[in-house]
Amino acid sequence: MPEANPPTSRRVAVVAILTLIGLCLAVVCGLAIGPTQIGTMRILGSVMSRVGIGHSTLDTLQSTIIWQLRAPRLVLGLLAGAMLSVAGGTYQGVFRNPLADPYLLGVAAGAGLGATFAIMDIGGGTYTPTWTPLMAFAGAMAAVAITWIIGGRGLRSNAATLILAGVAVSALLTSMQTFLQQQASAQSIARVYIWLLGSLASASWSSVDLVLPYVLVCTTICVVAGRALDVMSVGEDESRSLGVPVRRVRFIVIAASSLGTAAIVSAVGLIGFVGIIVPHIVRLLVGTSYRRILPISVAFGAAFLVFADTIARTVIAPSELPLGVVTALVGAPVFVLILSLRRRMVR
Amino acid sequence: MSIVEIDHLTVRAGSKVLVSDVSLDIEAGTWCTIIGPNGAGKTSLVETVAGLRKASSGSVRIDGTQLATMNERARARVVSLVPQHPEVPAGMTVKEYVSLGRSAYHGLLHAPSAQDRRIVESVFERLALEEFALRDVVTLSGGERQRMVLGRALAQSTMVIVLDEPITGLDMRHQMELLELLKTQVEECGLTVVATMHDLTLAGQFADRLVLLNRGGVVIDGPAGEVVRSGELAQCYGMTLRVVDVDGADVVVPVRS
Repeated sequence: MPEANPPTSRRVAVVAILTLIGLCLAVVCGLAIGPTQIGTMRILGSVMSRVGIGHSTLDTLQSTIIWQLRAPRLVLGLLAGAMLSVAGGTYQGVFRNPLADPYLLGVAAGAGLGATFAIMDIGGGTYTPTWTPLMAFAGAMAAVAITWIIGGRGLRSNAATLILAGVAVSALLTSMQTFLQQQASAQSIARVYIWLLGSLASASWSSVDLVLPYVLVCTTICVVAGRALDVMSVGEDESRSLGVPVRRVRFIVIAASSLGTAAIVSAVGLIGFVGIIVPHIVRLLVGTSYRRILPISVAFGAAFLVFADTIARTVIAPSELPLGVVTALVGAPVFVLILSLRRRMVR
Repeated sequence: MSIVEIDHLTVRAGSKVLVSDVSLDIEAGTWCTIIGPNGAGKTSLVETVAGLRKASSGSVRIDGTQLATMNERARARVVSLVPQHPEVPAGMTVKEYVSLGRSAYHGLLHAPSAQDRRIVESVFERLALEEFALRDVVTLSGGERQRMVLGRALAQSTMVIVLDEPITGLDMRHQMELLELLKTQVEECGLTVVATMHDLTLAGQFADRLVLLNRGGVVIDGPAGEVVRSGELAQCYGMTLRVVDVDGADVVVPVRS
C-alpha cells in the first residue's frame, strides 16, 4: 500500500472530530429512524428528560418504542461496533498482519459451533434457546484457548505459529459445525444460518448489561496497548531489545480482544467485515500509529455499525437485511473510496 | 574495567551448537568486533549479549549484572541493538522511530517525558538527523536508514551497543560515515561497542580488538593489527590473504589461488 507523508496532528484532530460528529449522527439515526415516525426533537426531549432536563412529550407507545426497542439496539450496536473494530485493530497490530480480524484465533468458529449445538441439541432445532449466547461464548473462549495451547501456549511461540494454530482450530470447529448442521432439518439450519449472519434484532437492555462490562474493560485494555503495539511494529526481537515484554503484552491484548469479541458474538452473532475494515479505514485516514488507530476505531466502528444496522432494518422493512451483509456492502465501497483518495494524495 | 563479561558461554539451537564455550571480557569504552566466516556463530554470540538468545550454559554479565536475571526493560537500559536487518514500519516518522529507543524509560503506558524528548533531540543533533525528522522511515536511503537505526539505539542511552553487520548493503562512503559516527560515540561518550563485521579491513581500522570466531569457538583474540596478520585468519576462511599497509592502515586483500 503506498504511503504518503505521515499525517499531521492537525489532520488526526480533524478526523477525530469528524468521527465524533459521525458518532453523534449515528446515535440520532439509531433512535429516530424506524417504521414508526417520531420527531427527532421529541426524541431528544425524551433523552434530555432522562438526565433531568425538561420533560418528555412522547406517549407511552412511543416511549416504549424508543426506550425498549431502539435504544437497547442502538447501545448494543455501538458496543459491538466499538469492540469488533478495536479488537480487529489490536489483532492487526499484535500479529503485524493486515488481514487479521477479531475471528483470527477461532472465536467465530467456536461461537458458531456453540450456537449450533445450542439451537440443534438443546432447542431441538425448533427455537433459539436462551442458552445460545452462553454456549456461543463458551465455544468462542474454548476455541481461543485451544488455539493458544496448540500454538505453543502462545508465550513461547511466535505470532505466525499462533495464526496457523487459529486457522487449524477454525477449520476443525467449522467442519464439526457443518457436520452438526448436516444432521438437522431445514428449519433448524435456517435458524443457525440467521444466527451466523449476525443481527441486533433481539437486542435488549439485559443483553446490553451482559456485554457492557466485557466491552468496557477489554476496549480500555486494547486502547491502552496502542503504545506497546507501536513499538512492536518493529518486530519481536527488536521490540524486546527496546524493553517490551512482547510475550506478556501479546497474551494480555489477545486475551482482551478475544474475550470482548466472544462477549459481543454471543449477544449479536457473527458480524463480519467490521473488525477488518474499520481499522483499515482509520489507518488510511490517520496513519499507522496504533495510539491513533485504536481510539478512533472505537468511535468509528460504533458509528459504522449503527449506520449499517439502520440500513439493515429499514431498506426492506418490516423485514431486515442480515447485518453482516450490510457491513460488507457499505464498508467495501467506503474502503475503496478512501483508498483511491489516498492514492491520489500520494501521487 | 570489564563491562561485558562472557563466561564459558555455550548457545545451542536444538542439537546444533552455535556458540561453544566462549569467554571474553570487554573493557568499557572500547570497540570489540567479532569476525569470522559465515556460520561461525557471530550473530548468535552478539544476540546472546543483546539478551535475545538464552545461554544454554555459561553466562553474560553486563556491568556486573547477569543478563539472564534482568527483565526486558532493565536489559534495554544497559544494552541496545542495531540488528542486521532492521524492520522499518511504513508510516512512522524518523522522529517517532528514534523515540522508540526511550520506551524502556517512559514505559508502555506513558508518553515520553521532557527528558526523553531532550535525549532524542541530542541524538538527532549528534547524528545529523534533523532534516529527516518528519520523513516517513520507508523513504530513507540505505545509509540514512542505518543512521536512523543507530539513532534509536543511541537514544536508549545504554553503556553497551551491539551491532550485527551494521554496514551490510551500504556503499563505501556510507560505511565510513556510519563507522566514524560510532567511533565518535566511543571516544567522546565512553560507549562500548560489540559488533560483527565481514569487512576485515574496516573491522581492523575501527576496532580496538578483534575476536576471530570459527565453528562457535574463539580462534584468536587480540589487537586488530595482530589478528589480521595472524595465520589463523586465512586458515579459518580457507584462502590466501595478504595484509597491505596503506598509510599506516592495514588493508586485508584476498588473493586468488
